[in-house]
Amino acid sequence: MSDRFRVRRGRAIVAAALALVVVAGLAAAGTATARTTKSCGTVTLNEQAWAGSTANTYVAKAVLQKIGCKVNITKITEIPVYQAMADGKTDAVLEDWQHVAQYKQYITKQHTVVMGGANGVTGHIGWYIPTYLMQQYPQFKTWQGLKGKETVFKSPESGSQGMFLGGDPSYVQKDKQLIQALGLNFKFVSVGAEPAQVARWTQLYKQKKPVIFYWYTPQYLNLQYKLSEVQLPKRFKGCLDDFATGGGSVAKYKCAYDHIVLNKVFSSKFAKGGSPAFPILKRFSWTNKDQELVAKYIAGDHLNSDKAAQKWVAANQAKVNKWLGK
Amino acid sequence: MSAATDYAAPAATFPAPHPWWRGRAGLVVGVALAMLVGYLGWKSTLPWSNRLVWNSLTSYLDRFQTWLSDSRNTPHPNVVFTIFNGFATFLDNLVSWFTTFFEKLTWVGTVALGTLVVLRFGRWQQAVGVLAAFASFALMGLWEQSVQTFALIFAAVGLSLIVGMPLGVIAGRSDRFLRFLTPLLDAAQIVPAFAYLMPVVILFSVGPGAAVLTTMIYAIPPAIRITALGIRGVPVNTVEAAAAMGSTRWQTIAKVQLPLARRMLLLAVNQTILFALSMVVIAGLIGGAGLGDVVTSGLYSNPALAILGGVAIVIMAIALDRSTESMANRTDPARRHLTDDKKLRLRLFTLASVAGVGLAVGLGHAFGAGGIYSGRTAQDWLLRGVQKGLDYVQNPSTWIFHITEPTGNFIVQRGLQPLTNFFVETPWPVMFVGIVAIAFLVSGLRPAAITAIMFATIGVTGEWATSMGTLSQVLIATLITIGVGVALGVWAAESRIVDRILRPINDVLQTLPQLVYIIPFIYLMPVSQVPGIVASVLYAVPVVIRLVASGLREVSPDTVEAAGAFGATRRQVLLKVKIPLARDAIMLGVNQGIIMVLAVVVIAGLVGSGGLGYDVAQGLQRNAFGLGVVASVAILALGIALDRTTRGRARARQERAL
Repeated sequence: MSDRFRVRRGRAIVAAALALVVVAGLAAAGTATARTTKSCGTVTLNEQAWAGSTANTYVAKAVLQKIGCKVNITKITEIPVYQAMADGKTDAVLEDWQHVAQYKQYITKQHTVVMGGANGVTGHIGWYIPTYLMQQYPQFKTWQGLKGKETVFKSPESGSQGMFLGGDPSYVQKDKQLIQALGLNFKFVSVGAEPAQVARWTQLYKQKKPVIFYWYTPQYLNLQYKLSEVQLPKRFKGCLDDFATGGGSVAKYKCAYDHIVLNKVFSSKFAKGGSPAFPILKRFSWTNKDQELVAKYIAGDHLNSDKAAQKWVAANQAKVNKWLGK
Repeated sequence: MSAATDYAAPAATFPAPHPWWRGRAGLVVGVALAMLVGYLGWKSTLPWSNRLVWNSLTSYLDRFQTWLSDSRNTPHPNVVFTIFNGFATFLDNLVSWFTTFFEKLTWVGTVALGTLVVLRFGRWQQAVGVLAAFASFALMGLWEQSVQTFALIFAAVGLSLIVGMPLGVIAGRSDRFLRFLTPLLDAAQIVPAFAYLMPVVILFSVGPGAAVLTTMIYAIPPAIRITALGIRGVPVNTVEAAAAMGSTRWQTIAKVQLPLARRMLLLAVNQTILFALSMVVIAGLIGGAGLGDVVTSGLYSNPALAILGGVAIVIMAIALDRSTESMANRTDPARRHLTDDKKLRLRLFTLASVAGVGLAVGLGHAFGAGGIYSGRTAQDWLLRGVQKGLDYVQNPSTWIFHITEPTGNFIVQRGLQPLTNFFVETPWPVMFVGIVAIAFLVSGLRPAAITAIMFATIGVTGEWATSMGTLSQVLIATLITIGVGVALGVWAAESRIVDRILRPINDVLQTLPQLVYIIPFIYLMPVSQVPGIVASVLYAVPVVIRLVASGLREVSPDTVEAAGAFGATRRQVLLKVKIPLARDAIMLGVNQGIIMVLAVVVIAGLVGSGGLGYDVAQGLQRNAFGLGVVASVAILALGIALDRTTRGRARARQERAL
């Protein structure tokens, strides 16, 4: 493709040829399409990597299409998407796991992004073990039961300690600090991004081996694998969940992860633009069960995302009508 | 110092007068043993002291990012931001112009255009290949994403070559410029995109523009380096002869150096394309729509789809590479002797091609073919097939798993874990002095001083322990990469068949997103660390093979013939003539091997290597910009130290002489 290697001979012909093609193409295209404009125009939603986010985004897309909106989907990762909203390149994120630092910067200080309220789903992070293991060791119900039994979770890389399987580096976490604060004999092993972590624990699960790991709800895999949560110490005032943004001493993290209200956030430009899609997205709210079901259609049954969303929308007319303001 | 240098010089040409343990190798082993004693005697007694760490560095960096974002997102940003914004808009428009262009052509017209261009300027085999590539995108149901990615890559590669090749020519002619450029290129390749993705996004916003820019940062260095190497490979007497005949500087460049460096320039184009395609996934994270998105979201919810996306990237890479190569060869002025008759035929063919494309576009519009292929696809069938393969891999009761799992456990327990412990737990002064001493013994005073500065930097940024963990894995990956890469490179240069077998494999390994093949691998070998090392080696080896092989092939056939005439055996020719003459290319191969291993530290961190890569990934995604930058600096410092330590004395001396 690179011009530099080509001989000079015949270059003029090539240029003329290309110009002809362009002209022909444009001329043909000009006559072919007549724009159909609807009052809603185009709405750009952002989908994030995990299946739950895909579920929100495609259900919202299906609903917005009902009132004649054209929906674009961007797939920008969690933090950069704030800049996208500030620039008006993305209109809405329908599931934000409480990015407090970004709220402060983009919502409170810059007013380039606005808070859109809860999407109805509650997120919860915790330490999980397979249910078969819980039945075998009922004392693992709480973290105290783990004490002295850590070696049950031994793995090739944990040496004489037990292995705690850490979560995706992009997720909120404090497990290293928790292990230290609780005085447990675990070695924190990070196996990397979520797909890698899933590969690791599902393989142990299939072999009915012991494993303890960072996990969360809502998650479609929870419908496929039976998992039980280990109770961590009760929450106290001022207890923190995210070491990456909090820092400081481990004592501040010695509590269970909070239940997180997942938020919708919108671009200010979109919110003020008067799009009929805005009030609908503002009312958009559903439950953990709804989301897990759609996510399972998509990720578990490998249904096409659009079809999965339409299937849910067809079966849940009442909810959808409420969003539509009918 | 001078005594040591004097000693090294004869050792290279004559058989060593002493047994090896009396020479430098013996000293290196001695230092290593002393470090081992330090480890065993004072295990984890002296970690890097917190008092030696510049703790406020990360918060300064964080504040810088906040400031950047605040001053950019005001209603009236200052002129600097407006310029950045304008540049981004230009790139955005460029990419979207390409995409709309293909859409306007309709998919029928796009296929006709691609195939006929290659048919006209290249060979028919490659045109068939391009046709097959289009067919595969359609069959996989990834037409739209492929066109988006193609538009992105087309813009990124074009701009990278426009920027990179002239710089490469200058670097090929000026030693000072090359010396100035080299550290910058090292940094551009080693510092993970994850570290600067957020500032790029703040300055250039999200979208194809930012994606092109990020891709260019990674794809320009090979264009510059390989072009420079090619220009340098042109025999000095030829250039002198040209000058003696009265050529101006421009004439020398255009008529002598560039044509003679043609082979290397081709390699530069090829590597720029492949490097650009290896950034597709990261570009996807900041709005470079296309196949990168398919891979990323597929990994979380539909791994089979991620594999299809990866395959599409590879097919695009191979088709682009082969067709550019065949077009360059067919249009090589040195090989082409056109008679008037042939010229006329070519012109007629050109006209026919234009008519063909026009017809296809017309037909496409007449029959309402959209810009995107929307007919029947085999996606579902393919996904089912791939899923079956994945299900097999994920099943822990198959016989393969009973071999791979214990193997992985053994490697971790007996090999990697002890090695990591050695690096992390040895008291830091012992480690520090030991590494610097080895750098001195292998490469001399200046590289040792640089190594010392680099490790001090790592300590001061507070990443000592993390870096030592990463170093242990990088070291293993680098050793394997260089060993395997140089060996296969030599073999490929000597044997056409091997070369032919290796080439497509190299293309696949360089462009298939690592996560796509490493995640299934984790199911087979569920231990951390091993997948990361495998990913690093597989990504880094192809570049080493290519550089070593093309360097050896560049050795002048006259010299080889002369050696043969003197009765040298093939082995002697290889060892005493070719390898010494191709030393520059081989050293570039080693340097690139190290850099490639470090370039995938982040990916390695995402599949279980932890360490610095994990920190960098957190930096982007957890809004810990400072942490990400600091970890990247540590990765860069490791890279520079490793490169300087492995250069050896000859190279260091040569550089001083410049």
